Amino acid sequence: MTATVTAPGRTPWLGQTIALSKRSVLHLLRQPSTWIPGMVFPLLLASVNSSSLARATQIPGFPPDATYLQFVLPACIVQGVIFGSLNGGTELANDIQSGFFDRLMSSPVSRPSILLGRLAGSTLFGFVQAVIFTIILWPFGATVKGGVGGVLVLWLMGALLALGLGAIAAGVGARTGEPEAVQGFFPLLFIFLFLSSCFFPTNLMSGFYRTVADNNPLTWMVDGVRHQVIVGFGLSQAATALGICLMLCVVGISFATLQMRHRWKMAG
Amino acid sequence: MNGVRVLMILVRRGFTALFRIPVALIPAVAMPVFFTVAFAGAFSALVHIPGYPTQNILNWMAPYACMQGAAFAGVTAAFTVGRDLETGFYDRLLMAPAARWALGGSGVVYCALRSLLPLSIVLLLAWAGGIDFLAGGWSVLCLAVATMFVAAIASMWAMGVTFRLKTQASAGLAQIGIFVVMFLSIGTTPTEIQEGWLRQVSPLNPLTPILNFARAGFIGAGGVAWHEVWPGLIGIAGCFALSALWCARGFRTLRP
Repeated sequence: MTATVTAPGRTPWLGQTIALSKRSVLHLLRQPSTWIPGMVFPLLLASVNSSSLARATQIPGFPPDATYLQFVLPACIVQGVIFGSLNGGTELANDIQSGFFDRLMSSPVSRPSILLGRLAGSTLFGFVQAVIFTIILWPFGATVKGGVGGVLVLWLMGALLALGLGAIAAGVGARTGEPEAVQGFFPLLFIFLFLSSCFFPTNLMSGFYRTVADNNPLTWMVDGVRHQVIVGFGLSQAATALGICLMLCVVGISFATLQMRHRWKMAG
Repeated sequence: MNGVRVLMILVRRGFTALFRIPVALIPAVAMPVFFTVAFAGAFSALVHIPGYPTQNILNWMAPYACMQGAAFAGVTAAFTVGRDLETGFYDRLLMAPAARWALGGSGVVYCALRSLLPLSIVLLLAWAGGIDFLAGGWSVLCLAVATMFVAAIASMWAMGVTFRLKTQASAGLAQIGIFVVMFLSIGTTPTEIQEGWLRQVSPLNPLTPILNFARAGFIGAGGVAWHEVWPGLIGIAGCFALSALWCARGFRTLRP
């Protein structure tokens, strides 16, 4: 790491960020138990739901000319990203518990690099998940009618969502220093997932549930991406979906930065 | 000490721990409640599929949420045993002059009894939401029996995993097994409405007849049909025997 940090001709913080990002990615790859559930479960759920809910596409009001697998493809990516994005926060909390964070603090490492290094790992993983899910589900009928543009929107959503959620998880990890607290955050995200149009169109819901789902930003994001899959490429829908992701990134990174500052003060 | 007395003391220990740490109650109760609301809310339009067995989505989803709550109540046994193994408390239990069966059995009885808590809350919520008890008290009885046995079976499966791996983390692995069995059943739709590979798999899943039994008083023309009950009872007996064997063999690997 020292070699990277002192590499000539490179801004020190950039080298440090790259070194910490590499550490974050390698750490993830070396512990398959942390990322395999995030790859397997969304695919299993998509596969099960496409069989059990296949006839739901016959209900009047369901998007026409779409298979359930196409309908659920964006939700599959969101689910995978939720699983995966918590890893960064958990690892940060582990670093705090094991004392590695304190050692980083006593070294001349740029403070933002610590956070950016973690987030880079989460973002890359989210992007890879989106790519893999799209490729695996394609031959089973989850074709993206939006073509290359539509596919890019899906992949970008995966990366940005992972960045935003990863930042929130990192903020929780930095604040509490407890991996369990970050994991405890998971059910909350799962609730958001169900209270949205991820698994069923909101126009087929009723009562307060529909009101909540209609006003859930996750619904607006998923619907925007879903348009690329089942209708075709749409610029305004893509902008809505990616705009919500970007807003989440801004909120998440601000939250994580505040919590990291709090942790730096505690360590300092 | 008498085995039954040891079992009762350990069951009481479980409940004391549960009520002393109210936070531990939240996932046990909140999860099945959430599943009831989420499944009934998100998939309420499924009743419009031709051939769907009920016109009230709560009648289909609430028993499924109870089964999920029961299964996850079972996994808590693995957490408790894993923690006791890690802290050395289980070693002390193994050294004690107590009947061995009571040590494992206490986890099973505790989980079965604990599953009645989410069951009561889900039923109360579903009643407020308009669930139809088509067979009156029999509806509740079938569901309660299925819930308690599913919790017992899940606890034996989860403890079997923990006895072999000897760590709290093994509860996660046990949970994955339960997730898979739950999803590959007739959770959201009956077999007749499913398509593709799941339609071939779900009838072979032992949870399918158990779920039919749990729903016996909520689906159909009214009353509990015997043809829904006996396959469920056989499913329960088979799963109970297999998971008991799995748990007992795992227990034998423990050395104080």
